[in-house]
Amino acid sequence: MLASIAAATLTGAVGRPVSVEVHVSNGLPGFTIVGLPDAAVRESRDRVRAALLSSGLPWPLRRVTVNLAPSGVRKGGAGLDLAVAVGVLVATGQLPPDCTETLAFCGELGLNGSLRHVPGMIALADACAPLELVVPLCDAREASLVRGDAAHGVSSLTELAEILRARGEWPAIPSAPPSPPPPDLPDLADVRGQPFGRHALEVAAAGRHHLLMVGPPGSGKTMLAERLPGLLPPLTPEESLTVTRVHSAAGCLLPDGVLVSHPPFRAPHHSASLVALVGGGSWSLRPGEISLATHGVLFLDEMGEFPVAALEALRQPLEEGVIRVSRAGGTVAFPAQFLLAAAMNPCPCGEGVFEGACRCTDADRARYTRRLSAPLLDRFDLVVPLARPDPDQLLAETPGEASAVSAARVAAARSRAASRDGSGAGEPPLHPKAAGLLAAKLREGALTARGLHKVARVARTVADLVGAEQVDEEHICDALCLRTARAVVTR
Amino acid sequence: MTGPRGTGGTGGTGGPGGRGLPEEAYAAALASVPRVGPATLRLLLATDAPSVAWSRSSFPGDVARIWQRHEEKGIEVCWHGGPGYPARLENDPDAPAVLFCQGDPEAVRTHPTVALVGTRSPTRYGIGVAAQFGADLAALGVSVVSGLALGIDGAAHEGATASGAPPIAVVAGGLDDPYPRRNARLWARVAEQGAVYSESPAGVRTEKWRFPVRNRLLAMLSDVVVVVESRHRGGALYTVEAAAARGIPVGAVPGSIRSPTSEGTNRLLADGCFPVCGVDDILTALALRGVLLPAGTAAAADEGSHSGSAPSGGYAGPDRALFEALSNDPVSLDHLARVTGLDLPALCGGLERLARDGVARDIGGWWERT
Repeated sequence: MLASIAAATLTGAVGRPVSVEVHVSNGLPGFTIVGLPDAAVRESRDRVRAALLSSGLPWPLRRVTVNLAPSGVRKGGAGLDLAVAVGVLVATGQLPPDCTETLAFCGELGLNGSLRHVPGMIALADACAPLELVVPLCDAREASLVRGDAAHGVSSLTELAEILRARGEWPAIPSAPPSPPPPDLPDLADVRGQPFGRHALEVAAAGRHHLLMVGPPGSGKTMLAERLPGLLPPLTPEESLTVTRVHSAAGCLLPDGVLVSHPPFRAPHHSASLVALVGGGSWSLRPGEISLATHGVLFLDEMGEFPVAALEALRQPLEEGVIRVSRAGGTVAFPAQFLLAAAMNPCPCGEGVFEGACRCTDADRARYTRRLSAPLLDRFDLVVPLARPDPDQLLAETPGEASAVSAARVAAARSRAASRDGSGAGEPPLHPKAAGLLAAKLREGALTARGLHKVARVARTVADLVGAEQVDEEHICDALCLRTARAVVTR
Repeated sequence: MTGPRGTGGTGGTGGPGGRGLPEEAYAAALASVPRVGPATLRLLLATDAPSVAWSRSSFPGDVARIWQRHEEKGIEVCWHGGPGYPARLENDPDAPAVLFCQGDPEAVRTHPTVALVGTRSPTRYGIGVAAQFGADLAALGVSVVSGLALGIDGAAHEGATASGAPPIAVVAGGLDDPYPRRNARLWARVAEQGAVYSESPAGVRTEKWRFPVRNRLLAMLSDVVVVVESRHRGGALYTVEAAAARGIPVGAVPGSIRSPTSEGTNRLLADGCFPVCGVDDILTALALRGVLLPAGTAAAADEGSHSGSAPSGGYAGPDRALFEALSNDPVSLDHLARVTGLDLPALCGGLERLARDGVARDIGGWWERT
């Protein structure tokens, strides 16, 4: 007897449909799986057999061959268990063959016949369309995010067999929690003083400008960066689906069946490898930190300590918003539209904002700043110096301005920018004085052509933040001040 | 070549090489023998001419090749007691037996000399002071002696090579290999305008132990030693020690008690070195030693040392507040925002105006008065 069951497997953040063919024939009892299975899939032989027996379903004492088609694609993970089990049931006549024709199955089996969570359910559910989908009950909400009523959840193999045999009703998917609780983000009110750092954060959030903070230890770089997601507007529905898809594929713990609605914040440690940052792996291509940070913030603390190769790998995704990871097994494109926030000390000892304060040798300093190549530094619109806050302000009782106030300004600035972006012609020209200042800076060599463009863009954001129609001289000066720390990291 | 070069006339032609090599060649060869230290060298040359000493000591080595290397690089060689040896070193019991020089060795004879030394990682304050003293002294006809190291040394020579009296450098390694590389251009300029001295023959790498030795020679060549900035331990203090042992006056530039780069200099002041608050103080020390300056330079010194400015800088409104909030110590934008109460676009605009007028500048995001 032959059965063919629809299923899906995960490659990177994308699902691929897989057809699980089960053949049961006379011969020496045995169980073989072919079609480029990985170790987890090969082991499903034992899981499926045990699950069937514990569920009170007989195991055929015949020769069972499972083929995973297309056989040229590698299949990984335990998500094919359920499809194999259903295939065996159909092929041995324990289930009617027509009951699985319109269904696809994804789920991992426990030895007791229960169904377990599978990572990447959104992508798997996408890949199973237009068939209806049967998944573990705990993944049902996630699957229904993209498939709606076409996704069904069951909790055990016994339950599934009964429903299929009797063409019964699918159990109701537990309804999603009423509304996603507001994430407990750190608030800017905790930051005392630091008017310049706050301002830089706001500009970065409003204009999606990549931000590099340079300052001595204790100047609040990390504290400020952690508050950046709180200034970003909530994700749009499309953005949140993209983010949830990537997070689900990476196996990140997500609130059950809830879309990620707030910009993610990823802060990999500086020991992170290149592959951990950009994604990859030998063939089970997994999204990296930059993809997990998509539509959110990627924060690289102690940027000077990251491996140079890992930092350089950020250049292309920063430009394109996409990272294409190629391996022998194939090529996968992950989204990588993140806001890069980075922090570094001015020198290894941390004190050398200007000469004299630090004890590093020139060679040490040069070695430290050399890690940040000029092309990568060019990707940062904002390179801001941070100073340790004044003790008086630090000890003051009055809290700083709350994130909500700042976020409102950011949202207003973004909507101003959006209303303009639609028609490029709607943008008012620079104030003559502002244009004159930029021209002067270009002539005296203080700015390159690319620098000029960046300063103009940042100045536009500054103007949007204060609600000005036209970019004024002051806005240009502000934008220039927001990149002054370049001198520290390029010396 | 202006230096007096003995062409073997003092009996060198009868030397063992017999190939017409000058005495200088043998002096350089003796200095190049490994494991012959300064003391042995002095002993060897105390009684004999270099060629005689060379033949008696039977060291291995190719004199002609060593000499060729020095000649190619334009390095002059003189030995204690020989022609061209600086007179001011002659009576020093610790004087180097063989001295190598690039440039014009006349400089140390004709001009009063002041050593400007200090730390390799100075503050802007130290760099500014060293460069200013270097330039002012050179303009007044005083040769600036320094070590061509990074930091204070380099800044002093940058100032001194602008114009005026010939600069003098004393370095640790061989004269064919500028060290540190970053100062190679400055090195060439000093050699062109003045002289670069070393105790090491060509081909000797700059090893660590050579620096204190160099600092001793630096002190010997100077009429006055001035430490611009030094941490509580530093190479400059070797120079000070050597100068003190020889009765050479040592001055120190006072600095902030909070600045680690002024720890050493402030300690020197407490120990009795004379404070250097301007070029006049150095000139006074020179005069007290009986070193005469070319006439008509004192007035110029007075003129250069005082340049006051109006407290408000001629500004009004927010720019005035901003100007007053700035000082010679760099301050952060946060500090300026707090003191002036300006919002950031206005603050940055004001700073840009002050920078355009040349009264303020930024150092990596920190601002100071110029």
